[in-house]
Amino acid sequence: MPEQNNQQQKLLGLIPLNWRFDLTSVPGVRWLLKRRWFPMIAILINMLVFMIILTSGIMGGFSSGNYSFGVMIVWILWWVMLMMFLVPVLSRTWCMICPLPSFGEWLQRLRIFGVNNKLRGLNLKWPRRLRNMWVMNFLFLGTTFFSGFFTVKPLATFFLLGGIIALGIVLSLIFEKRSFCLYVCPVSGFQGLYANMAMTEIRVKDPNICAKHKNKTCETGNKNGYGCPWLLQPHSFERNTYCGMCLECFKTCPFDNMAFNLRPPGPDLLVNKGRGLDEAFKGFIMLGIAVMFYVAMMGPWGGIKEWVRGATLRGWLSFVGVHTVFCLVLIPGIFLVTAWLSKLASGQKEVSLKTVFVNLSYCIIPLGLAAWIAFSFGFLLPNASYILHIISDPFSRGWNLVGTANFPWTPVATGWLIPLQFITLLVGYLVSADFGYKLVCQTYADPAAAKRGFIPLLVFLTLVIISFGWLYGG
Amino acid sequence: MKIKVIVSVIVSAVLVLACTVGPIAATLIYESYLTRDLTAEIITRSPEKGNYSPRFLSVPVGEKVKLRIRNVDTVVHGFAIPALQVDAGEIKAGHSVTLEFTPEKIGKYDFYCTVWCSEHHLQMRGVLEVTAQ
Repeated sequence: MPEQNNQQQKLLGLIPLNWRFDLTSVPGVRWLLKRRWFPMIAILINMLVFMIILTSGIMGGFSSGNYSFGVMIVWILWWVMLMMFLVPVLSRTWCMICPLPSFGEWLQRLRIFGVNNKLRGLNLKWPRRLRNMWVMNFLFLGTTFFSGFFTVKPLATFFLLGGIIALGIVLSLIFEKRSFCLYVCPVSGFQGLYANMAMTEIRVKDPNICAKHKNKTCETGNKNGYGCPWLLQPHSFERNTYCGMCLECFKTCPFDNMAFNLRPPGPDLLVNKGRGLDEAFKGFIMLGIAVMFYVAMMGPWGGIKEWVRGATLRGWLSFVGVHTVFCLVLIPGIFLVTAWLSKLASGQKEVSLKTVFVNLSYCIIPLGLAAWIAFSFGFLLPNASYILHIISDPFSRGWNLVGTANFPWTPVATGWLIPLQFITLLVGYLVSADFGYKLVCQTYADPAAAKRGFIPLLVFLTLVIISFGWLYGG
Repeated sequence: MKIKVIVSVIVSAVLVLACTVGPIAATLIYESYLTRDLTAEIITRSPEKGNYSPRFLSVPVGEKVKLRIRNVDTVVHGFAIPALQVDAGEIKAGHSVTLEFTPEKIGKYDFYCTVWCSEHHLQMRGVLEVTAQ
């Protein structure tokens, strides 16, 4: 197949990848996105919930996680919403309403709703070598080492969230704008990666208008709003990866040229710009964590559970070692062999192995996201009913605020769990294979070479889906 | 213009306080309201994790006693004072039970866990002393 640009390609041969519907064409949406109090009002409401979560971490005793407000809201409700709805549908909308960096941002601006483009703090540039996803990769991987504590002990969740808030404040006072969100926040990286699959995007309506606009107020700011807090150039957005959807560009654009588009999932995967090893490794790490979490939390291997929950220091260190090697060495290693075989099969010597490795790695994003959605079903259906208890008694004090404190644990539709997981994984596999083929065609100029180069990639994806099938079904 | 700025600052400050300090203050006020007539709160943990806390209570004879038993452990516990015919039944992890009774006789009464909670279950006990007024 000759290389086609995004304008011509179709998802699974069905949905044109260039289809867009600008939600700001709906007057109410456009009006809302241009208000200064939005999304700040949503951040404040979210902050209220987070304060209850933090309070429950201290006041909620040290009981098992399923009766803790903090553990249930963060690790069941929030995580499920993030992986199953917010990121795949609404891109990085979570970043839009995330309260964690707000304290630092308010200190920079000395404003909450208003505009003050003379930002306080040292405003240093983030180190050039670290302007990538590597810090986020290692921080997120490092966070998962303690998953056996965070998901069980309310106090551990308190320390994690409190630590992120404190780090956000400190870094906001040292580095410019949202450097913390862009380069450090452990939650930011994987959202950015999977937001490439999202069904929404922020883009310019007409690039010609931006080209003629010399002031670029979306970057520099004006009296209506701040220059992009994420240090990006909204006038030339092509991928969702780093856009935190703060909506400042909607406010600063004097030509009303920003669009909030609905679109089919995944066109950003084909944008051959800004790709790198850091993003490729984010994909491998997320896939590896999805496997390890399933093995540790839902698998039948009690010994591994003991490792993860730190029953012994030796066991926990074994988990850290195996988990790290699996995510950083084994999966990328197998994929490197796949990329090498693809290059070999294609016969395209002029394309570097690194280019093949990086380009093709983007095709595992749909499958990785599907693995996380399937994993999320595994704890949503059995555990969701606990939420009714904890909203009535958030601090385990015997309260009954909304009359549901005594609602018994009621697993929901668990008979459908495995079919749902298999369907999700199968869709992820098909979409990954589809984008894999498109990426191979993009990487190798010759269509016949691309077809040959696709075979090892398809084998890799098939082995991954078979492994997941064995893990979830076996 | 100046009034607009002042109103904006006040509204911002009120909103931020309401969303940060607000939930904590509301929690503490509501909790103190609910526990205004509580005689004592007993925290339950398996013996190897701390046992009942406190393990000794003293109450005056003939007066109503209101106890809240909070299970902050990861397993089910119980609480009973058989001599006073007080039994909370099973208390699940993360749950609380409030008991009310009036002891009519002076004396020392054992309370203990009624659910096999750990290999040290039999050590999970304490004493309620009923004293003269």
